[in-house]
Amino acid sequence: MKTTLRELRSARGWSQGDLADALGVSRQSVNAIETGKYDPSLPLAFRIARLFGKRIEDVFLDDGASDRLAAQ
Amino acid sequence: MSGFTFKQANKRYRRLFLPVMILYVALCFAGPGIMAAFNFEPPAWVMAPVAILSGAPIAGVFWLLGRFVKETDEYTRAVQTQALLTGGGITFSLAVIWSFLELYQVVPRSKFFPSMMMVGPAFFFCYGISAYVQHKRSGGSMRDFSGPGREKA
Repeated sequence: MKTTLRELRSARGWSQGDLADALGVSRQSVNAIETGKYDPSLPLAFRIARLFGKRIEDVFLDDGASDRLAAQ
Repeated sequence: MSGFTFKQANKRYRRLFLPVMILYVALCFAGPGIMAAFNFEPPAWVMAPVAILSGAPIAGVFWLLGRFVKETDEYTRAVQTQALLTGGGITFSLAVIWSFLELYQVVPRSKFFPSMMMVGPAFFFCYGISAYVQHKRSGGSMRDFSGPGREKA
């Protein structure tokens, strides 16, 4: 899943470790989410979105959404 | 959520892991010492508790790993669960295959593998390798690899 997490984090001047501390997860978790290698659970996605004052869909982009909308 | 942050879960794991391992090594050395203290072959009622106590710390490590997996964050839980399954699968599959090879006398009876004393170290080796491979697949590097207890809490 594509995400704007890296951009949001950089805009605040946070390191991956800073964000990991704020979320209570490991730095490896943040790295895996940012690189699209791991999709977070819904509760963690909500926590991430709330931390940045955003909606989930502003942080995580559904790859297939545009294709499905075009097909409808 | 387990109620623990990753750092708290990691700290709880590390706090007990080293003492359990020290206990394991101490008991491994104490067993032969107790045997040597007897001028005759020690009775089973002496050696049975010694044998059980010598292996008990391994059960303790698995209990610690289970607690860590339960308490840590979801990504680490996924990596650790996959690593434990892969490590266990490889080790026990090899042990069973080797046992059948011995049973059918294809290979000579080994003094060490798959002796249960060697299955433990073999499992932890496979588990560690698997955890690192999972970590690499998730975009991590050697520098930021952390099995339980490896990341500074």
